[in-house]
Amino acid sequence: MNAQLDSFKYDDAIVRKFLVATFVWGLVGMLVGLIAATQLVLPSLNVVPWLSFGRLRPLHTNAVIFAFAGNAIFTGVYYSSQRLLKTRMFSDALSAAHFWGWQLIIVAAAITLPLGFTQSKEYAELEWPIDIMIAVVWVIFAVNFFMTIARRRERHLYVAIWFYIASIITVAILHIFNNLSLPAGPFKSYSMYAGVQDAFMQWWYGHNAVAFFLTTPFLGLMYYFMPKAANRPVFSYRLSIMHFWTLVFMYIWAGPHHLHYTALPEWASTLGMIFSVMLWMPSWGGGVNGLLTLRGAWNKVAEDPILKFFVVAVTAYMMSTFEGPMLSVKSVNALAHYTDWIIAHVHTGALGWNGFLTFGMVYWLLPRLYQTKLYSNKLAEVHFWIATFGMILYATAIYSAGVQQGLMWRAFDETGRLQYPDFIETTMKLMPMYWMRVAGGTLYLAGMVIFGWNILKTWQSRPAKYEEPVIQAAPLERKPGESGKNVFAGFSVAGHRRWEALPILFTVWTTVAVIVASLFEIIPTFLIQTNIPTIASVRPYTPLELAGRDIYQREGCFNCHSQMIRPFRYETERFGEYSKPGEFVYDHPFLWGSRRTGPDLAREGGKYNNLWHVNHMKDPRAVTPNSIMPAYPELLTQKLDFNTIQKHVDAMAMLGVPYGELIKDGAAIEAARTQAAEVAADIESTDPNLTGLADKEITALVAYLQRLGVDIKKANEVAAARLPAGGQ
Amino acid sequence: MRLSDVMGQAGLAGYAEIALILFVLAFLGICWAIFRPGAKPAQDAAARLPFEDDPTGQPEEETRS
Ligand code: HEC
Repeated sequence: MNAQLDSFKYDDAIVRKFLVATFVWGLVGMLVGLIAATQLVLPSLNVVPWLSFGRLRPLHTNAVIFAFAGNAIFTGVYYSSQRLLKTRMFSDALSAAHFWGWQLIIVAAAITLPLGFTQSKEYAELEWPIDIMIAVVWVIFAVNFFMTIARRRERHLYVAIWFYIASIITVAILHIFNNLSLPAGPFKSYSMYAGVQDAFMQWWYGHNAVAFFLTTPFLGLMYYFMPKAANRPVFSYRLSIMHFWTLVFMYIWAGPHHLHYTALPEWASTLGMIFSVMLWMPSWGGGVNGLLTLRGAWNKVAEDPILKFFVVAVTAYMMSTFEGPMLSVKSVNALAHYTDWIIAHVHTGALGWNGFLTFGMVYWLLPRLYQTKLYSNKLAEVHFWIATFGMILYATAIYSAGVQQGLMWRAFDETGRLQYPDFIETTMKLMPMYWMRVAGGTLYLAGMVIFGWNILKTWQSRPAKYEEPVIQAAPLERKPGESGKNVFAGFSVAGHRRWEALPILFTVWTTVAVIVASLFEIIPTFLIQTNIPTIASVRPYTPLELAGRDIYQREGCFNCHSQMIRPFRYETERFGEYSKPGEFVYDHPFLWGSRRTGPDLAREGGKYNNLWHVNHMKDPRAVTPNSIMPAYPELLTQKLDFNTIQKHVDAMAMLGVPYGELIKDGAAIEAARTQAAEVAADIESTDPNLTGLADKEITALVAYLQRLGVDIKKANEVAAARLPAGGQ
Repeated sequence: MRLSDVMGQAGLAGYAEIALILFVLAFLGICWAIFRPGAKPAQDAAARLPFEDDPTGQPEEETRS
């Protein structure tokens, strides 16, 4: 033994904090999800504007992803990294800043999303001031983490640490590039990118956020906590390293659905597809590796709820990673896209993989962190079964809802007409399954309550003072010739080490891998921009329509409505001419949506008269019986904020939208008032009961809806009259 | 001139293909590093790292492959 051993203590207080936050936000996030699910069967539950479905859904997704799963990741990372690196976290102050900063972000999200402050990009809804906070806190976390690695007393980095490193780096890159936007107010911004480009950026982000926030960090946790719980090392360490590198190398490249649209040469596209199929192998290899870690311990699984949670988590991981590539196959995607199938896919991953892995990890941690016995193994067992059953109910219901609605949308009768021409008919068919989802969600949430009870009771039986064992470990030896800072050793020949012992080099490589792969995906989208055939008749939104679009974003209409008609006959029959890339060149941000709970709105303009829209927004069920759309009566009374319109038009102009003369001081406001007066006059002349709408929000929204998709129909009529000719 | 025009005219598409080839090569290199015969003992040692924090809780089994 080395004579000079270092003595130190682990910081478990920070782990306890993150653990409690995991539970609290998990409960909140899932409760919000349950409310949103219930609103889809009982639209009258959209009681107040800030609790309506369009605002709650992003709150639900952000809460479960960044608050629940996020805090779960930090819990596991702080616990395992200290032990794997044989050192305390680099700085208690940074740990605390990370913890409180993150919770502050969550609170800010929980306040701003219901208020309707949103960038309207899925899982990146938070507005720019919060985005900056996220970047700062993430850097704090990264510094704390990497400095901990630098101070480690174990030369080799266990594979879990690799997964953490890749996640931290990649999430930072994703977050920054997807959120590049131009602020147009304290809580308002417009994406730098428009239309097709913005969509590509968003789904580059969305695809990889699932990979590097919900997959790789949790794999790190799996590779640490499963062996611990099963008390045997991972089945195959080789396989785990393969798992890591294949994910880092392939995840971003994979997804031929991202490559289909690009101007890539055929062979590269094919190779991309091969990558995506190959992605099955490491994912399944990794999953099998996790399950085989339980070799010889299967009898324990019967008695141990923790292992049960892990087994289901890994199984769900394997199911999701099988389904994902399948969904990217064009023909499958044609059916599944816009339906609940995607929602079901996501929930297999979220409830099964992220949820169950978190539960297993927390149950394993509880006695160790609170230095007492778990309050009740039986309750943990009950939690397991009730959550499993809830998840099965959820998945069964929503998979069948998705497939059923997808098939109904494309069904033609023998005369060659749409079999279900009324959109709402396809919605009504889903109601029994939506009720089943509510039941499943309730069970899963009930499991959370039991979980919370177990945590509380365990916490209550903690010792008066936590023991803080002193750990001893030898500092890393420096070989002769090595420079002072051993983390840099990789760069000097004398201090040459095995490649996996070089965290900086390793981090650099991972970063390069991620950035190069991302550029590979993104560059073609920039090339596309120049290839997008410009459609001469497509003009920017008028100032009033832009204000209407802002309201559309604020209310989260895009959570239920798509604006992207695909080139299939069953789509064009139902919604009209399919969407062209050139139609979106002024859409900062794009609003294509991803789930059609309501009909596509890309060609909504001119479909109904203005009054129809007013009545429909005021009370959808008065116009379309059985509609599940929330009512927005407040839009008829809330005053439109004309004063911000100029700022918003100016911001758009800065992003390259040709607004010409309208950027002159007050010009946009003037134009908006004039158009609002016209629209209001039209409405009020058709229904004399309606008065004073010229300065109300509804007028802007109706103007926007009436503009959707008309430009390519009525060449140059609607907009050009209001806007200076030429442009660009 | 907009960023997209600059990017569009920079002729970057070819580099993406080169990058793809480099990636495949790097990946093959990694495979070799993982599966070369000499790597096994170090990997076995690494697999035991999660158990080193607790001298009493030694694993019941060894890594298989
Ligand atoms: C909970 C999901 C949901 C939300 C949120 C939602 N809608 Fe709807 N919407 C529907 C459904 C379902 C229908 C079809 C039944 C109907 O006509 O009401 C619909 C229909 C419509 C229609 C008629 C489409 C047509 O061609 O018949 C318009 C226009 C519309 N919604 C606009 C909006 C706007 C604007 C918002 C935001 C302020 C919004 N919707 C929010 C679900 C939603």
